[in-house]
Amino acid sequence: MKPYRVLFTALLAISPSAVRAATIEMHVNGLVCAFCAQGIEKKLRKFPATVDVVVSLEQRLVAVALKDGQDIPDAELRRALTNAGYTVTAIERNDTPIGAIRSRVGQAKP
Amino acid sequence: MTQRSRVLAGALVLIAPGLALAKPIAFADGTTEMLEYGAGTMTEAQAFYAPEYNYSVGGGHAEFDSAITPETVRITYARFNYLVHRWNLESAQANVYVWGGAGGATGNTFNGTEATVNAGGQADYETRRVYASLKTDLQRASPFSIRVDTLQLGIAPYEHEYNQIATWFVVQAREYTGEIQHGIESAFLVRFFKGGTWIEAGVTNGGKLQAMAMYNF
Repeated sequence: MKPYRVLFTALLAISPSAVRAATIEMHVNGLVCAFCAQGIEKKLRKFPATVDVVVSLEQRLVAVALKDGQDIPDAELRRALTNAGYTVTAIERNDTPIGAIRSRVGQAKP
Repeated sequence: MTQRSRVLAGALVLIAPGLALAKPIAFADGTTEMLEYGAGTMTEAQAFYAPEYNYSVGGGHAEFDSAITPETVRITYARFNYLVHRWNLESAQANVYVWGGAGGATGNTFNGTEATVNAGGQADYETRRVYASLKTDLQRASPFSIRVDTLQLGIAPYEHEYNQIATWFVVQAREYTGEIQHGIESAFLVRFFKGGTWIEAGVTNGGKLQAMAMYNF
């Protein structure tokens, strides 16, 4: 029984971060110009929970990598994108690493 | 309706389906600095700060050298820009801006400094491949009234990504009123931007340099 107890304890210890989203993906309307979209990155990088930001004009996508165990409320994300001049149409949270998203949208890490 | 008015109206109809484009307001907490050399007729520097995404405050300095008379006018002004409406479409964006301001002018055809008022507006529309904007800007004082109307139509040879250099080919038509220049001046421009830096340069139908640089941060 002891090995199961150890395993159970270990699972409990890691589960809070394991079930949390690593990345927020936002679908954004009006995202057509890199010169204008830089306000998005500037705003999102100011959140303490932000590790990295990826913007794809082709996919109309803005992705935010989160610090372990942290999150940014939807309302704050929508406000940030609105203040950058854009309209958020959908917000999704998932465990996709930001590097995988960057590869998916065809961008090398700067 | 004059032939010139018909041409302008026709151009407006062409861009009207989306209406609106280039921006005196960058983004909330963003600063825009701009410098334009207009073929020796107009040179203008501007700087604006946007506390919110829908308005900015700042000022500029413009110099007009008449191609018709020896008149030269220098205007320094403070200005308020307001985003009247923005359409964020799935693959396009359109904007309508208005602005107003006041300042002072000196010139070689009047003495001292004259108070000026400034008013204008801009409508623009862009996708990642096409761009259209129409801008009007009026500077008025008791000795002069100068209005500059500018129409730009652009096409991108490729769809740029966020981390790439964007390239645009732009055709510009500009008309000055106020005895600055007769007729419509056309120009062909090439525009590049990446990150917050934007430069464009080209040549007018009179063979003169037309150039602009802009920086957002």
